[in-house]
Amino acid sequence: MRFRLSDRQVGVLFMLPLLVSVALFLVWPIVEAIRLSFVRYNPLRPDDQPFVWFDNYLFVLEDPLFWESFRQALVWTGISTLAQAVIGVGLALLLHQPLRGINAFRGLLLFPYIVPTVVIALNWRWLFNAEIGIVNHLLLSAGIISERVAWLSTPDMAMASAILLNVWKYTPFVVIVVLARLQTIPTELYDAAKVDGAGAIRRFRDITLPQLAEVLAVVVVFRTIWTFNKFEEIYLLTRGGPGTSTYNLALYAFDQAMANLRMGVGAASGVIMLVLLLAGSLLYIRLTGFGREDRAA
Amino acid sequence: MTDVAIRGLSKSFGTNRVLKALDLTVPSRQFVTLLGPSGCGKTTLLRLIAGLEQPTEGEIRFGERRVDGLPPGERNIAMVFQSYALYPTMDVARNIGYGLEVRGTPKAERRERVGAVAKVLEILHLLGRKPRELSGGQRQRVALGRAMVRKPDIFLMDEPLSNLDAKLRAAMRGELRRFHLDLGTTTIYVTHDQLEAMTMSDLVVVMNEGVVQQIGTPEEVYARPANLFVAGFIGTPPMNLIPARNEGGRVTVEGHPLPVAAPAGAPAELILGIRPQDVSMATPGEPGTIPGKVWMVELIGSERLIEVEIAPKVRVTAEVRASHRAALDDAVAVRLDPAQIHLFDPASGQALPREAVREVGARPA
Amino acid sequence: MSRWAAALIYAVLGAVTFVVCFPLLWAISTSLKPKDEIFRWPPTLIPETITFESYRELLFGGAVASAPGAGVPPSAYFMDWFVNSVIVSVGSTAISITVATLAAYSLTRFRFRGQRAVPYVAILGYMIPSVIFVFPMFLTMVALDLPDTLLSLILGYVCITLPFCLWLMWAFFRGVPIEIEEAALVDGATRLQVFRQIVLPVALPGIIAASIFSLIVSWNDYLFGRVFMNSMDKLPLTVGVMHFFDGTHVDWGLMMASSVLMTLPMAILFGFMQRHLVAGFGAGAVKG
Repeated sequence: MRFRLSDRQVGVLFMLPLLVSVALFLVWPIVEAIRLSFVRYNPLRPDDQPFVWFDNYLFVLEDPLFWESFRQALVWTGISTLAQAVIGVGLALLLHQPLRGINAFRGLLLFPYIVPTVVIALNWRWLFNAEIGIVNHLLLSAGIISERVAWLSTPDMAMASAILLNVWKYTPFVVIVVLARLQTIPTELYDAAKVDGAGAIRRFRDITLPQLAEVLAVVVVFRTIWTFNKFEEIYLLTRGGPGTSTYNLALYAFDQAMANLRMGVGAASGVIMLVLLLAGSLLYIRLTGFGREDRAA
Repeated sequence: MTDVAIRGLSKSFGTNRVLKALDLTVPSRQFVTLLGPSGCGKTTLLRLIAGLEQPTEGEIRFGERRVDGLPPGERNIAMVFQSYALYPTMDVARNIGYGLEVRGTPKAERRERVGAVAKVLEILHLLGRKPRELSGGQRQRVALGRAMVRKPDIFLMDEPLSNLDAKLRAAMRGELRRFHLDLGTTTIYVTHDQLEAMTMSDLVVVMNEGVVQQIGTPEEVYARPANLFVAGFIGTPPMNLIPARNEGGRVTVEGHPLPVAAPAGAPAELILGIRPQDVSMATPGEPGTIPGKVWMVELIGSERLIEVEIAPKVRVTAEVRASHRAALDDAVAVRLDPAQIHLFDPASGQALPREAVREVGARPA
Repeated sequence: MSRWAAALIYAVLGAVTFVVCFPLLWAISTSLKPKDEIFRWPPTLIPETITFESYRELLFGGAVASAPGAGVPPSAYFMDWFVNSVIVSVGSTAISITVATLAAYSLTRFRFRGQRAVPYVAILGYMIPSVIFVFPMFLTMVALDLPDTLLSLILGYVCITLPFCLWLMWAFFRGVPIEIEEAALVDGATRLQVFRQIVLPVALPGIIAASIFSLIVSWNDYLFGRVFMNSMDKLPLTVGVMHFFDGTHVDWGLMMASSVLMTLPMAILFGFMQRHLVAGFGAGAVKG
């Protein structure tokens, strides 16, 4: 470089690719999505995009399938997140013990997080196959069930299978976060509690749990938001079926755009999801006062 | 009130033997300090007494009661930790009363006792606050409050002052001493700071590498150290320890005879100890002095430290008044106060008996 | 702690680990079985006969008995899909890392207006569900005449990996002390030289961590591939494999074998990441 760029110029230069990318890949798609939600768009006739005001939104809000999807999304999210939190905390507590070889477990238990969702959905379909799946076989042999369960072809069982998949895949995330927090709790606190006469359960209730509360709240909110909007886990496992019993909002949007060729409606559903997401985040921020300095003594 | 009796206590962590067959008695109502460098085992000993660790061998008794199998909650002890270990999610009142709460003390009684303790410690106005809102000194008072409220038989303190700045530490030293005098509870205190040990204790237990080096009052460990370790550890600036010889019953340093007789049966090689406060400057050639060259001079306020090299790599530090001046490389001599000379056997490190050290040429009393 | 307690903990952890790993163990077991054993009831836990026929079919497009006139079976395209996934993952990772590293460095070393807002805008992108991005992006690709090309997928994946890469690199750069760069500047180097010769080597652990994350995310994605790509031979692995469900007869052996082959690269990366992350962030911690 013959000419010297000022510090400021170099700084801006380095930022440029990011700014361009953010504009192209973040801002533009969202703006486009919002625009699309106000037109009628059939991908097979791309030049015809009549502006239809809020028709798409009305369509969505009046569609019983939308509300069914919404309800199912709540069920699927609520149960999954609860299970992940409880199991996650339990596992983290177990992994926090100073036992030999505990690190091997940590590595292995993190594994589900990196497996491609497709692989897991395929495996699940095979595992839970009604006729020749291994899960039915094991449960029958153990005497837990008396006849083979149709895991993926009845609405309730399909939802259960989907929840199970979600729990399997994402509990490790909860474990990591909780375990990291556990490791920052000073052991002297537990010593003091022992001297005060507190037993193991009291120590958990009065020392561990309050300190985990903050971190758990964050994790639960994040998991809720992500789970609510997840597409692949359900689509690849059940295609939303049987029928539409495992639809959630993401599937609904996809279905409208791809299957029904109503991209405008799909976009509108997407925007509704976005609004819900923002509302949820704001609620969380308001409830917990995110960012307030909360350093423990 | 309770004394603490420890017999044959050993503790190993894997292959690391931290405590080796320790015997110790802490008399009731006394303030006893476990003093020693890092890793000497003092904290481990404290934790064993508390019940936070289990001994590998040996027994611990509080009075007549054998406690080494009991969990900490049943030993009727209280502990103040180095970082105070206040429960961060509870307010001060709950922190102090937690031990009572766990034992099912009714709320009204709890509130009363917590209030009484808070009044004594002058922290009534802090009862509603959380630990993170308190200063270091306030936190320590809360920790003390938590220890006091259950009226335990024994207080255990693990370096509670080391997290404070120097000024606050000095103030808190006095407060803790008063605290002990007022309550009269047996207290076992751990520190590596000999100043704390000397100013606060009734008894000092000097430890090194898992073994008790000496037990005595602060005066005893200062004036009559039992071995080289204690001699070098206690006292600021540290005691001078220089090689000496026993020549025909007379102690000599670098060939210069001193007006001190070696005790009967002393070995030929000796180590001589003398505190800088007991070393004075003299003119070279005076009888009973050791000549040398000024190696270093340091002014420490109202005193001056003069380090004199009496032989290659052998230096003696003298503490003199600041008004006494000296320049580097001056030819000087040092006089060692014969009454304050300690002699040690280099092989065992043990101090040789003091009474037998006689001044040669001293006039009869 | 007592021996009973320890034993209980080990037992529980062992059981949980087994349950967690079971799906993949079962997939491996199935993938090694001959077709007739797969469809047996009750199923066998450990294959009675071990065969690699499923793997061979996928990797080498081996002789597959397909009904005449049925066209090329999906399994023939497996290697195409594999290569596609590799190209797309590596390509998008390269772009994301480059952009993120430059931007993160700029964020931590330079000051200019609006700087603070950038990472938070980026993290917003991370939170937004992909369904919202997918369709507008697809239309953009159509407008650029790029649909059904690997390039479109690469650009699409930048969309979802960039925010997190940025955050990771930003956090990393914040932890690297500025003194080494200042020393170089005092020695007369230009900002660009400092960046290339001093900063990049030190940033390597962070770059590796972010790359691994980005690779995993792009490799595992389904939605973008499904929407953007059409032709059989251009699909990424995730989308292609779902085509095994076409037709009446589901070949579970093939499915499980492809599961294993798809997960293998991720497992290797993951193992690498575990070791490297610890080493990287430990060694990268510059003294004082």
